[in-house]
Amino acid sequence: MSFDEIVCREFAELATDYLDGAMPEPTLELVEEHLAMCDWCRDYLHQIRTTAEVVADAEDDGPRFAPAEPVMQQLVGAFRRRRQGGPPG
Amino acid sequence: MLLDALRAGDEDAFVALVTRYHASLKRVARAYVSTDAVAEEVVQETWLAVVDGLDRFEQRATLKTWLFHILANKAKTRGVRERRSVPFASLGPADAQPSVPPDRFQAEGDAWPGHWAVPPRPWEDPERRLQSLEARERLRAAIGALPETQQAVLTLRDVEGLEADEVCMLLDLSAGNQRVILHRARARVRAEVERYFEEELA
Repeated sequence: MSFDEIVCREFAELATDYLDGAMPEPTLELVEEHLAMCDWCRDYLHQIRTTAEVVADAEDDGPRFAPAEPVMQQLVGAFRRRRQGGPPG
Repeated sequence: MLLDALRAGDEDAFVALVTRYHASLKRVARAYVSTDAVAEEVVQETWLAVVDGLDRFEQRATLKTWLFHILANKAKTRGVRERRSVPFASLGPADAQPSVPPDRFQAEGDAWPGHWAVPPRPWEDPERRLQSLEARERLRAAIGALPETQQAVLTLRDVEGLEADEVCMLLDLSAGNQRVILHRARARVRAEVERYFEEELA
């Protein structure tokens, strides 16, 4: 085993740095060497990327996250007054 | 365009805007203030400031970034008034834990120390399997269970799709800490997805 090597436990901490393209050159080289050989870390990386993508869908559920109806009415009231040129608030 | 509609006084457009962003704004606010109720107040203040500021908004940033900018300023001010410590000044204890439990890796003395002992199983067709109501509920619960700072960063980056440098600026975070927090959040949610898929197969 050579000294300059990244092991899976280390890569598990670096997946987001890698996806963000925020990795210094020497580390990037080691990571790419590791990924080329390690199916498991490629799976892990893929799962982190998938997770980042699916959280957006999970939250995309419209009306259930809107403020309570009376609050919405108040906000719309403030919007209406303001757009009709009334005083702020 | 949304901004034109808002400036023209289109109330449906305003309701759509509030509905679209209210939850995300609240989640970011929650990192700064002590309770959900205070976070809700901060978001309502933010909407009133948006209503007042629509004509001044200069479109140097996107409408989305502008919303979060107003929110972050109001939440910070409120957090200071509550004498809360600044949430992103240093990494929290949850950010110092490993992303993957240590027992998933081989220990010193094993054949390949530091390599996977219990490797991740590949996910088959995850997007489809995560579309069910139950799966989305689990995902939302997993996000909701994260420390507040992790929720804020995950919301801005992965839910709202802001760029890393925008998030650093909004939350006064260094680039490195932003990535650590984001990665911890993703890793925890990934673990929950993994559990969900294992249960599905069981």
